[in-house]
Amino acid sequence: MRGLRLSNPPVIAIVDDDEAVREALCDLLQVESLPCRGFDSAAAFLKDYAPDRFNCLVTDIRMPGIDGFELQQQLRALRSNLPVIVITSATDEGSYARAMDAGALACLTKPVADEVFLGHVRRALSGSVVTGGEHPKR
Amino acid sequence: MCAGRSAEAWSRAGSTRNADMGEAFPSIAPPGRSGETMPEAAAAPRDGGLHYHDEMRWALDISRVRPIIDSVARGEASPDWMHAILSGTHAAEVADDVENLLRWPAGRDHVLGQPLSAFWPPGSRDVLTELIVAVASDNAASNTRVRRIAPEGRLQDPVLTIWRSVEPRRGDLVFLTITDAPKSERPGSSRGSEARYLDLIHHAQTAMLQVDASCMSPIYDKLQSEGISELGLNQYLNDHPELVELADGEVRVVQANLSAARLLGCATPAEVIGPVAFMFTVSHDSQQRIIVARFAGKRHYSEVVKLVTFDGRVRDVRLSITFPAPRENVDVHLATLEDVTDRLRTEAQLRQLQTDLTHAARISTLGELATSIAHEVNQPLSAIVTNAETSLRWMAREDPNLAKVTQLTTRIAQSARHASDIVRRIRAMTTRHPPERVPLDLNEVVDETLLFLGYEIASRSIDLSVLHAREIPRVLGDRVQLQQVFVNLVLNALQAMTPDSGRKGRIFLQTGMDGEGRVVFSIRDNGPGIPNENLDLIFDSFFTTKDDGMGIGLAICQSIIAAHGGTLTASNDLGGGAIFQVTLPAIAPG
Repeated sequence: MRGLRLSNPPVIAIVDDDEAVREALCDLLQVESLPCRGFDSAAAFLKDYAPDRFNCLVTDIRMPGIDGFELQQQLRALRSNLPVIVITSATDEGSYARAMDAGALACLTKPVADEVFLGHVRRALSGSVVTGGEHPKR
Repeated sequence: MCAGRSAEAWSRAGSTRNADMGEAFPSIAPPGRSGETMPEAAAAPRDGGLHYHDEMRWALDISRVRPIIDSVARGEASPDWMHAILSGTHAAEVADDVENLLRWPAGRDHVLGQPLSAFWPPGSRDVLTELIVAVASDNAASNTRVRRIAPEGRLQDPVLTIWRSVEPRRGDLVFLTITDAPKSERPGSSRGSEARYLDLIHHAQTAMLQVDASCMSPIYDKLQSEGISELGLNQYLNDHPELVELADGEVRVVQANLSAARLLGCATPAEVIGPVAFMFTVSHDSQQRIIVARFAGKRHYSEVVKLVTFDGRVRDVRLSITFPAPRENVDVHLATLEDVTDRLRTEAQLRQLQTDLTHAARISTLGELATSIAHEVNQPLSAIVTNAETSLRWMAREDPNLAKVTQLTTRIAQSARHASDIVRRIRAMTTRHPPERVPLDLNEVVDETLLFLGYEIASRSIDLSVLHAREIPRVLGDRVQLQQVFVNLVLNALQAMTPDSGRKGRIFLQTGMDGEGRVVFSIRDNGPGIPNENLDLIFDSFFTTKDDGMGIGLAICQSIIAAHGGTLTASNDLGGGAIFQVTLPAIAPG
């Protein structure tokens, strides 16, 4: 459990190979004064990853190369407690369950509603981990 | 009478002509024989068709030379009485075989009404003149004279039979027939074999016409002397359509066989005889093309024309013309006709069926891709939703960052266009259209294929690599159909690789050229490969190893590639996995 760090502004990482979606999510965080950095692949993010460098991770599942599930696994292997929000087009129960079992804070379906998304981000930043998460169908 | 032709054109044909002949020869038989017609004449087909009984019949009008004949009979003839009779006796009626048997360049029309001096061959003029005087002066009931005359044309041993009409009102008509006798039926004799040859043609299954285009020769000569080239003739005829009309009216069918009569809906071959205009009432431009081909010195010309038969049916007929070579009789063209209506109709139906089937297969493939299409469209939609909501948040602030809002709105428009591009691509796949033939870069088609399958590839976590050959010639084809084939092949490869095989799936696409200048696209995977017993079967319709497959995909792919002039083959890679190869002919440069 991490407390809210007031000294450093929280940095949210957005990992999605689709540029339009990635930039849109970043701009949404920006209007709410939440700094974010975008990565076009899980590999690019992992290269830049360091413990405590990021406060939240938002990731897609289906990506070329390392997919979202594998990214979650690798973070667990690194003993990271970075909160992860999964955003995906997949609406099947299997994907949702798999994401949540891998420890995701939430698994949301694209297109995400801004309120819902921001709500989960804020929760992640406040350090409160909600178990069970939300059903992908909002 | 046959319908569909001008009365003027056909007034001399068929039954009307026979009626004329009947009037001219009220009794073909010389007086003394029984019956209205000579037995041989009756047996000879009076249909104007191939008349191989080698007999000609004439009626000569001697009314003008009566005084001269009388003077000769009295012994008081002037020295040039023979010439006077030849100049004063003219042909009142003549069988149209004249051209055929005597090989006179002038047709029957040129002989009618002409004096003997204008056309009768010199070799038998004296004999004929004597005989005319003899029968004209002889008042006996039976005044027939029979005489052998010199060989002429096809007649090798002609016998002339001449008599004066005994009917009082026709006293100035002298009838004569010329027959070849004795007829030799020995197989070796050229006359017998020629008769059999003509008989063969008459009864042959192929519809054949003999066409007299003599009127065109002086025209060709004149055009050549005016400097009109082969290339320039087409334009010249465009500028002078009256020339083509002239050909329509003056070029004539002079003989037809039974099959031709049948094909053209005529009761007898005689009804076909006349101007060739009837063949070009629908296909107006064909006559011009024939003229150009003849002028260019071609030996053959063939095209399918649409014509109206004499009994009013519209048929597609392949008209094939053989033009005479310079040393042959320059004016005789041989034409064969083949009714291809049913075949063309069947071909059109098959083409339509093929289009429908490939379309159905495309729809089916798109159905399989529905999930990935949904994902693909969802991306720009998500961006649009988020950007719009972000813009609203900005606008709700006291000092909205309008520059940012502008940027977000621009991105919304971009994403919307992206979504519509996807829709357009899908829609192109769903339309049913006859196959196009446009130059295509196979590398582009491969890239477009991957656009369709981006999600399918990503969702299966398969490594797909593409090797584009840098410089490959274009191929002629239908973009949508080639995309269909490539999508089908890649999708098959994706589906063949099951995730639990442990090994990472790899698909390798490549474009290039083979050793024979053809463009090649190949797809190799590291899946299980094709079982050897199936290698021959996979392109068969309805062969499938998928639970929910219909099995038409590869069969249709093969027929699409075949229609493009290429080949689609399957084999197993030595290292395991399947290889599918598409080979297509390159567009020849220039």
